[in-house]
Amino acid sequence: MSNNYFNTLPLREQLEQLAKCRFMHMNEFTDGVEALKGKKMVIIGCGAQGLNQGLNLRDSGLDVSYTLRQTAIDEKRQSYKNATDNGFTVGTYEELIPTADIVLNLTPDKQHTPVVTAVMPLMKQGACLSYSHGFNIVEEGMQIRDDLTVIMVAPKCPGSEVRAEYVRGFGVPTLIAVHEDNDPQGQGLALAKAYAVGTGGHKAGVLMSSFIAEVKSDLMGEQTILCGMLQTGSLLCFDKMIDKGMDAGYASKLIQFGWETITEALKYGGVTNMLDRLSNPAKIKAFDLSEELKVIMRPLYNKHQDDIINGTFSSTMMADWANDDVNLLGWRAETGETAFEKTPAGDMEISEQEYFDHGILMVAMVKAGVELAFETMTAAGIIADSAYYESLHETPLIANTIARKKLYEMNATISDTAEYGCYLYNHACLPLLGDFMKNIDTDVIGRGLSSDDNGVDNARLIEVNEALRSHPVEAIGATLRGHMADMKKIV
Amino acid sequence: MIQLRELSVEFDEGFQLKHINWQLEPQQHWLITGANGAGKSALAAVLAGYGEILAGSTSGLPAKCGWVSFEAQAELIQAELKKDDADITDVISLGTPVREIIFTDEIDPVMARELINKFELDYLLERAFRKLSTGESRKVMLIRALSCHAQLLILDEPFDGLDSATHTLLQNHLAQVVLHTPVIMVLNRFDEIPDFVSHIAYMENGELRHQVQREDTKAYAELYQLLHLKTTELQVPEADADSKTPALDPAAPLVKLHNICVKYPDMVLIKDLDWTIKPNQHWQLSGPNGSGKTALLSLITGDHPQCYTNDIFVFGFQRGNGESIWQIKQYIGYVSTALQWEYRVGTSLRNVVISGFYDSIGLYSKSTDRQKQIADQWLALLGMQNRADQPFNKLSYGDQRLVLIARAMVKHPPLLILDEPCLGLDDLNRQLVLALIEKICAAQETSVIYVNHHAQDRIAGISRYLTLKKSCDNS
Repeated sequence: MSNNYFNTLPLREQLEQLAKCRFMHMNEFTDGVEALKGKKMVIIGCGAQGLNQGLNLRDSGLDVSYTLRQTAIDEKRQSYKNATDNGFTVGTYEELIPTADIVLNLTPDKQHTPVVTAVMPLMKQGACLSYSHGFNIVEEGMQIRDDLTVIMVAPKCPGSEVRAEYVRGFGVPTLIAVHEDNDPQGQGLALAKAYAVGTGGHKAGVLMSSFIAEVKSDLMGEQTILCGMLQTGSLLCFDKMIDKGMDAGYASKLIQFGWETITEALKYGGVTNMLDRLSNPAKIKAFDLSEELKVIMRPLYNKHQDDIINGTFSSTMMADWANDDVNLLGWRAETGETAFEKTPAGDMEISEQEYFDHGILMVAMVKAGVELAFETMTAAGIIADSAYYESLHETPLIANTIARKKLYEMNATISDTAEYGCYLYNHACLPLLGDFMKNIDTDVIGRGLSSDDNGVDNARLIEVNEALRSHPVEAIGATLRGHMADMKKIV
Repeated sequence: MIQLRELSVEFDEGFQLKHINWQLEPQQHWLITGANGAGKSALAAVLAGYGEILAGSTSGLPAKCGWVSFEAQAELIQAELKKDDADITDVISLGTPVREIIFTDEIDPVMARELINKFELDYLLERAFRKLSTGESRKVMLIRALSCHAQLLILDEPFDGLDSATHTLLQNHLAQVVLHTPVIMVLNRFDEIPDFVSHIAYMENGELRHQVQREDTKAYAELYQLLHLKTTELQVPEADADSKTPALDPAAPLVKLHNICVKYPDMVLIKDLDWTIKPNQHWQLSGPNGSGKTALLSLITGDHPQCYTNDIFVFGFQRGNGESIWQIKQYIGYVSTALQWEYRVGTSLRNVVISGFYDSIGLYSKSTDRQKQIADQWLALLGMQNRADQPFNKLSYGDQRLVLIARAMVKHPPLLILDEPCLGLDDLNRQLVLALIEKICAAQETSVIYVNHHAQDRIAGISRYLTLKKSCDNS
């Protein structure tokens, strides 16, 4: 059984690692791809991340090839075709790994242990192993040979976007880290920076983090606000509208596209802007609902964060891996059977503003989830920058998957790790909100407030606006969005 | 009979048609024409039921329209891209095959089959729609419109992007269609007006300014003149002395392609091709749809993955030896329909022109005052000086094309690649662009590769021709 790396560290080092995250300055990348020039880069895995990162690295003048398992090559699987159709050299582990100066592991989390175990003995003395997610190192405690450098470079976008932005002459925000236990030559940072330049990430902004901060914040964000809250919210809001006799097609559409529409406002101007899209009475209503939700859900967020920090979550999930994913697959099937999932969106027009006006409860849920996730993460020692990216920043990306093909799409898109955590959250949160939902009516989900009286109390409105704007996630959000806007002049 | 009375209509982009009075009799076939941005496509779209009516009324609008246009084509491609799961799953999506795009419930399968045979499109039925070339996807749009038993057929620039063989096929087919279905054509080019067109509507600034019967030769000639307004005194703005690219060896060729092969799993597109472009040589590249023109150009620009498996020398770099594509692109100015589809950015016209200095789609670098000045000079040349701060994505298709041509020329690149630059331009602007290209050819600092189907668009100064043939090798 695996050995949780984080738990082996003294508290002082745990806190130090959790607190790592800083937005790097453009002039830290003046060496470009120099550190990787002439080095042999071998990518394991040729899915959307593997292929598109490889295309970018090659177009940046770097030497890229792909290694796949013998069976994938023999059967000419899609990954093999992806690589060869694009003119890349493909070979087996035995053929290519020994020649590699840097091995890029771009396989899914679950395969990391077998993949890394297979390639490590083949790697050249002093070579570098790169990850795009730290789970294997931090939660499974994978021990890497002392002579090898271990880094992480994680573009914070889907693979096709990594490519599309590069071709436009830009890039996507990217997180980099060096595993300090494996940096024998002190060159980890230089390699990670050059890799980020090679994929175009430096143009969009690079965060320097640690393996631990990445894993602990990523897990927390994805299972609570990003996926869990949206799943629970979708199911509760839909059932409520049906219960109140609303048209099922409308209810389905309002939710499926509502998350995307309201979180688009979040992306541009944080929680404040999202609530500013509502009328004054609706804003106050959403604020009150979210305050109530935060009180009810806070213990659940604390539990998720605690289980992630102490390793309970990962060991539970890995037990399910070892048990052929029985839980995961069962829960996935169960989600497919929910009424929301089975009701197609109607073909009526819903205007952009109507998604806000008729989705007050959804706005309240997003606000409560973002703030709780942020508060819980920072309370656990994760720095505000990380907490912002793993909560507010990524919510629109996930909401976008629901707009495509509902919860099925979201759960198919996110990692198995995120999906597993999402179901855990959903199972706990549904009953937790049972009493709360009893008092909910269609004025806050489905029909909107009656427009007879648009008046509000001045003092109360000022209070609410003040509370919204002074939340810590808004302060860090304004700073980081400012950095991003500086880099990307044109959105 | 279709009637529009005192009709004012607004479109999503804020564009308005004003006070339209128009009557279409069942036996009439209309041409809608006018300058870029005049509202030609918008007027056609009204007949298809688009736009929000602000005032006035309509009657007799057809329940079912067959509609072919760049906008409709772009919409379909957008929908395809949106479906692309590769965006978010770790799977490379293959896209919807052409067969499914054509054979929907609304389509008469027998008619569609007949057209597929006529256009010889059998070979791409199983291919992903979004992977088709411009001309190929245009043909798919035509088949859909022509085989849905439409009460009215709206063809917005149907000939653009078609090779001359297909052009003739379509003309002949339409000659049959007009016997039973009224047709509305939107065309920028007077020289392409089919014989069956009986009436001409001339648009200007969102208003229907002139309605002319084809038989009225005097009025027809005047309209022709109006559309042909000549430009005077073309002055190409200077290059930016501060954004010069590293000097090239004047004795070396700009491009040397040797023994080029471009292969896809189901076909060989280009085989054993050699092509050398020396400084100050100007080339015209032609060939039927699907003969590999765009693929060949993207080998030069570095946008084709197989540029790493071919023997390619460009601007001093033997490809695949550690150079980056940005080192290549700095020597190239480029315009194509594909670029226009990718250039979906809400930035200002000025920034779009400036982005030509950086070879980017969108602008991600701080531009200098000098670059802004030069960009404004280009916009003035195009008659858009008052619109420099307007968003690019709200422009009409033809105006967007003009701005992208300025973007390609702005840095006076050693190599200027113009892949059907005049698609979507009206006669006046087409002449403007051709005149610009002639100036650039004559200035001796830029080599031009010009791709065009229209043989009459010969450019003084271009004396070398490369013609590609369609490869039928399906091994």
